[in-house]
Amino acid sequence: MLPTEFLASEPVLVMDHVAKSFGGVRALVDASLTLYPGEVHALLGENGAGKSTLLKTLAGVHRADSGSITLEGIPFIQGGTRDSIEQGVAVIYQEPSLFPDLTLAENVFIGRQLTAGGLVDWLAMARRSLALFERLGVTLDPHSKARGISIADQQIVEIAKALSTDARVIVMDEPTAALSSKEVERLFTVVRNLREQGSAVVFVSHRLDEVFALCDRMTVMRDGSTVGRAMISDTSEPEVVKMMVGREVSELFPKLEPKIGDVVLEVKNLSLAGQFADISFDVRAGEIFALAGLVGSGRSEVIRAVFGIDSYDSGSVILEGKTLPKGKPSVSMERGIALVPEDRRQQGLFMASSIARNVAVTLLKKLSSGLLVRRADEENTARRWAGTLQVKFADIADPVEKLSGGNQQKIVLSKWLATEPRVLIVDEPTRGIDVGTKAEVHKLLSQKAQQGMAIIMVSSELPEVLGMADRVFVMREGKHQGTLDRAEADPERIITLATGGVVSV
Amino acid sequence: MNALRNLVKARELPVFLALVLVVGIAGIANPGFISATGARDILLGVAIVAILAVGQTFVIVMRHIDLSVGSLIGFTSFLIGDLYSQGYGLWGGLAAALGVGMLVGGINGFLVAYLRLPSLVVTLGGLYVVRGIFNDYAFGRTITAAMVPPEVAWIGLNRLGGIPVLFLIGLVLVIVSGFIMRRVRAARDLYAIGSNPAAAELAGIPVARRVFTAFVINGSIAGLAGAVMLGRFNAANANSGLALELVVIAACVVGGVTIAGGSGSVWGAFLGAILLQAITRAIGALGIPQFWQQAFNGALIILAIAFDKYLSTRVKTTTIMGSDDA
Repeated sequence: MLPTEFLASEPVLVMDHVAKSFGGVRALVDASLTLYPGEVHALLGENGAGKSTLLKTLAGVHRADSGSITLEGIPFIQGGTRDSIEQGVAVIYQEPSLFPDLTLAENVFIGRQLTAGGLVDWLAMARRSLALFERLGVTLDPHSKARGISIADQQIVEIAKALSTDARVIVMDEPTAALSSKEVERLFTVVRNLREQGSAVVFVSHRLDEVFALCDRMTVMRDGSTVGRAMISDTSEPEVVKMMVGREVSELFPKLEPKIGDVVLEVKNLSLAGQFADISFDVRAGEIFALAGLVGSGRSEVIRAVFGIDSYDSGSVILEGKTLPKGKPSVSMERGIALVPEDRRQQGLFMASSIARNVAVTLLKKLSSGLLVRRADEENTARRWAGTLQVKFADIADPVEKLSGGNQQKIVLSKWLATEPRVLIVDEPTRGIDVGTKAEVHKLLSQKAQQGMAIIMVSSELPEVLGMADRVFVMREGKHQGTLDRAEADPERIITLATGGVVSV
Repeated sequence: MNALRNLVKARELPVFLALVLVVGIAGIANPGFISATGARDILLGVAIVAILAVGQTFVIVMRHIDLSVGSLIGFTSFLIGDLYSQGYGLWGGLAAALGVGMLVGGINGFLVAYLRLPSLVVTLGGLYVVRGIFNDYAFGRTITAAMVPPEVAWIGLNRLGGIPVLFLIGLVLVIVSGFIMRRVRAARDLYAIGSNPAAAELAGIPVARRVFTAFVINGSIAGLAGAVMLGRFNAANANSGLALELVVIAACVVGGVTIAGGSGSVWGAFLGAILLQAITRAIGALGIPQFWQQAFNGALIILAIAFDKYLSTRVKTTTIMGSDDA
């Protein structure tokens, strides 16, 4: 089949001007996607561009607020996951969705088990799934349990499931993220076979090289809208990156002139099997050092290891000339490192406890006499910090869950700033908070840096990285991909590095 | 060959071997233990727990639990005798028992499936609510032998082919349920729900409906089992069935019905019930003071869970290391 031949046929799926909001958040604004039978279609966009929401709408997990979806010319019924499956849509999710306790055969046919006379027909299921596995070129035992099989094999089982439903649209959400190169090749062969047989495959990947190797057409999304469509043969990687980023770096962040001092923290050849390998960098006093990269590139894992929450296999972390013991967050704290975690609800705060308690929890030793915490001191300390950070609250004894997301984030920050750290590590410091508070947080970080604090910032938001960082350390799949100075850093270069390309400066 | 391999891999095998071991040791120490009377004692004692364990399996494989069954079976056993003595006959009592069982199971199921409340808390509440209503209803009265319907008394006293009828009722229930759990689609969904609840939703399984139904089935079984309990003891009072749910859950866990959901079978739960009962009897036969029995059973539960954990962590390690072709 010639690359463009499929365009002569009728589209199998048309999603037109689809919009979807969750509460006040507009996840999809104006998303459109057209698929033809016999094509592999790349769906591209940054994290948070709305790809997953669009696909989940198709999968029946979400229902679109407006817009139209037609499948083979017929209006698509948005009932639920079962309706989507029955209409011929199969979605292979990024996170494994097999049933570990069931056999592979039953996993293939789950919810639609083959029956004979109303009873589950185990032999027929085993025979059919074996045939499907063979067609996909793998040797898997349909009788064995799904528990413990590799991610690559899990995907094959999911694809077999899709084939068993005669799905005409098969969606693969970042299927290659956890695969070795050999497994990726096997997957590509399978996808090409599906294309030969007339399926429409949606392929989501952040690896542009893969997209160019495999796909026929692409749709690019940004901020919940479709912003571009192209034949792969008519475009180039830089062009795609431009479409994905496509926005001006906002002037929201009042970056102050840095006063860079001596090296405070050195990370040398840090490795942890399966997470990251050979990570080295140093951070200076007064510097904001950004770790950039896609979600899952290993940034959070690196800082967790640096702080001591997780251990590591080899390498070392040196703070002001002295090596830190691995896996000891309490020592890191004492020696002057603070970590503001990514997920403030789960990792950063005691949601049901008071503001005072949350702020003071890092200082309990200082605020105690013997075994007892001096409550007045606790509250005064908390009040002082809440004032410094302009936290809006009614009563210092209120539980933090009563505060808005932005104010909660300020509480997490005060709790760690209260320890007066030499090195402050912040993981996604402004995720899910409003624009005003965001600017305040940025200002605060900038001020602290100017006062000589070394700041390591993990962020998935490019404008934030570009606005704040003195240097940008880009990671991809657990490896260092390149470091850019403030002057060199621009969205294209960062995305190119993060997606596996090479940048000349 | 394949059948043999499946047998060796089956979760029920270790339970069965443990049972053989217990019977063997007790038999050597006290030959009377293996006699027909000894076996009959075990089978008679096990029937109620086995029946409730079958129903409980429907719930536990979904990663849920139902603690209300002890109160429920006690209440319905009282109810059957009470209604009979008031002239509603056997069938009136059985219908009421089934109705109460379905109602309690339905309320549990509704709260768990549709309001998404944790089953542990919901059914713990159910345990006390049902017991409280039962106590008020019984109000110090007891059901005596004269108030037990003769058919119910008959199943408690008689044997078919030397096997107690009570046990045969349990056996039939296990055979039927075992078949359903293996061969009926909706029952297979219960395993899927317990194995990976999020994936079950994505696979288009009507999760809430299945969870609700399973609770209703378990409630119905516990309700009807009131007749079996009344037949066994030929009496009932406000304390009937007290703490029985714990023995039932113990039987399931010991029998390889994983508390984390997704695996185990009614046969396993059935064997687990027999094993616990055999240990109780063996302790008597070996001359060990009877109060050691509970400690033994408790240790066995912990052992079963540790065994399970060991199996699953072993599998997990291999996952992280990747499979052969990775």
